[in-house]
Amino acid sequence: MTYRSSGVYHQTYAASHAWWQTNFVRAKMALLVLFVATLPLYANLYVISVANIVLYTMLSALGVQLLTGYCGQITLGHAAFIAVGAYVTAMGVLFWGLPYPLAALLGCLLAGLWSVVFGLPSARIKGFYQIMTTMAAQFITVDFIITHYVSRVGGREHYFSLPPGTITIGGWPVDSEVKVYYLAAVLTFVCFAALANLLRTKVGRAWIAIRDNDIAAEAMGVNVVAYKLLAFFAAGVLAGVAGAVWIPSLYFVSPEHFQLSWSVWIVGVILIGGVGSLHGVAFGAIFVTVILELLKLAVIPLAEFYPALTERFLYLKEAAFGLAIVLFLLYEPRGLAYRWQQLKNYFNLWPYAY
Amino acid sequence: MRILLELVLSGIMVGSIYALVALGWTLIYKCSGVLNLAMGELTLIGAYVCLTFYQWGFPFPVAVLAMLIMGFILGLVTERLFLRRMIGEPILSVIMITAGLSFFFRAVVGFVWGTDTVVFTPPVFPQEPVRFLGMVFGQVYLWSFVAAIVLLLVFVWFFERGRWGLSMQATADDEMAALSLGVSAKWVYALAWAIAFMAAGVGGTLLGNINGLNISVGYLGLLVLPAVVLGGLNSIPGAIVGGIAIGVLQNLSDAYIGPLTQGGVKEIAPFVFMIAVLLIRPYGLWGWVRIERV
Repeated sequence: MTYRSSGVYHQTYAASHAWWQTNFVRAKMALLVLFVATLPLYANLYVISVANIVLYTMLSALGVQLLTGYCGQITLGHAAFIAVGAYVTAMGVLFWGLPYPLAALLGCLLAGLWSVVFGLPSARIKGFYQIMTTMAAQFITVDFIITHYVSRVGGREHYFSLPPGTITIGGWPVDSEVKVYYLAAVLTFVCFAALANLLRTKVGRAWIAIRDNDIAAEAMGVNVVAYKLLAFFAAGVLAGVAGAVWIPSLYFVSPEHFQLSWSVWIVGVILIGGVGSLHGVAFGAIFVTVILELLKLAVIPLAEFYPALTERFLYLKEAAFGLAIVLFLLYEPRGLAYRWQQLKNYFNLWPYAY
Repeated sequence: MRILLELVLSGIMVGSIYALVALGWTLIYKCSGVLNLAMGELTLIGAYVCLTFYQWGFPFPVAVLAMLIMGFILGLVTERLFLRRMIGEPILSVIMITAGLSFFFRAVVGFVWGTDTVVFTPPVFPQEPVRFLGMVFGQVYLWSFVAAIVLLLVFVWFFERGRWGLSMQATADDEMAALSLGVSAKWVYALAWAIAFMAAGVGGTLLGNINGLNISVGYLGLLVLPAVVLGGLNSIPGAIVGGIAIGVLQNLSDAYIGPLTQGGVKEIAPFVFMIAVLLIRPYGLWGWVRIERV
């Protein structure tokens, strides 16, 4: 086991796909885990709340990355499946008396199945038409079923709010920002690891083959429809995890949280981060969230001269995000993950250029 | 029976506005292959520009003319800055750049004009309803219908007779051949965006006259998508028929299925219908059937 990858040549398939290729990678991951685990010790509540947004965005975008970046199925309705996960979790805790982990598990499963329903048309159509069906999934699920039917269960109008202390994991109540942070961090690690592993298996290779050329993949014996539906299921489950994390962070859920703009937002996140890269999900989520927080900090002093800036900050945020997507597509179409890769390549081989 | 007829007629009237916007969408797709998700924001911008001029005291026709000129310029600028470089890029990039633009435009509209519903004051069209064979319509609908039909005819004339329209048709048909005959493809792309901006602006203005104007008028831009899917993405008659069909469908489903549910049917019926169309006939009524080879 060497320390640097310079001069390491893989001789087996397993070796080239191994996770821990050098001690440097081990050290890097250990440092990352250490950093994430100890963050609440020295960060204030504001930083923790930003970190929670980052983690939620990562979990939301992970399913989109799987569908769009690895299986080539473009989706503009992912918020619908996050909503299914969130609502099933909330209803499980609120009405059916399930413990939170069980309700979350049920939410993930149902979100996955619901996602498969809207994946069915992908057997016949792709590209733009695929986008249209996923967008229809968004409207049918959130704007129709959830707004007009689910939200009225139990006589509550428009939103569910959970009494404090109802979300417990094995007797531990999840009731503060820091606890939500740990929950979200653990789930994010698990989901990233699961997806990274899945992509190294037969299933992952089949997905990538479908992304690169579905007709060729079918000719090579890949069951395209089955693997597409499997991708939709897996993406739906990941969306369900994001939904389950959303519940303890606010103790309150409303259709407003899962609008079309959030679906577009998470696709934008993976575009900025880099399509077809797990690093891209993390980079995109961090970049978008941190840039918007910096924008907020920049607006506060300016608001003295132009008060409309704070009232209409939401619009400023959306304009900045739209502009960011456009500029990234024009000037950095491969996203932040590509820059990271180039940087890594440079230092991996340093000081020799081979 | 009378109710049915009334619903269908008013559906056609609103649908003709959708048809106008759908025409702009199809034009962009036909000429440059860009799938535009920002159509609703184009209607918003046009409608707010027109409203602003109207509120400054200009007569309505002048306000519309000013809006058309602004739309033309904005269309040229948008195409030049953002979309010219995206031609030939993968579909995800092209779609997402229009999605990014839609975020940007909507945010700018919200920032400049706020979120409150505003109406054209004084009303542009007379308020008394028109009676026709015992059916009652608002005059706004009737005038919108007339305006939309006139504009659709102008568009059709423009494509069939006008020099620019012919060069657009040529580019859509065979870009290489058109280039070799001296048609400037760049100008055609720019023109398609300019016309789409203008058509969407007129559509937005008419809708603003019907229900008042707020940021949710941009929802119309999403209704254009079922319309063009139904008609076939690259068919101009398809866009017109699709737009009208979506208008009628909305009215009928609202009246007949709406009472059975708890509301919201009108908004999602076009999308449910679109899924059905996609499953049965993905290329729409008159779209091109693509055969793919490896």
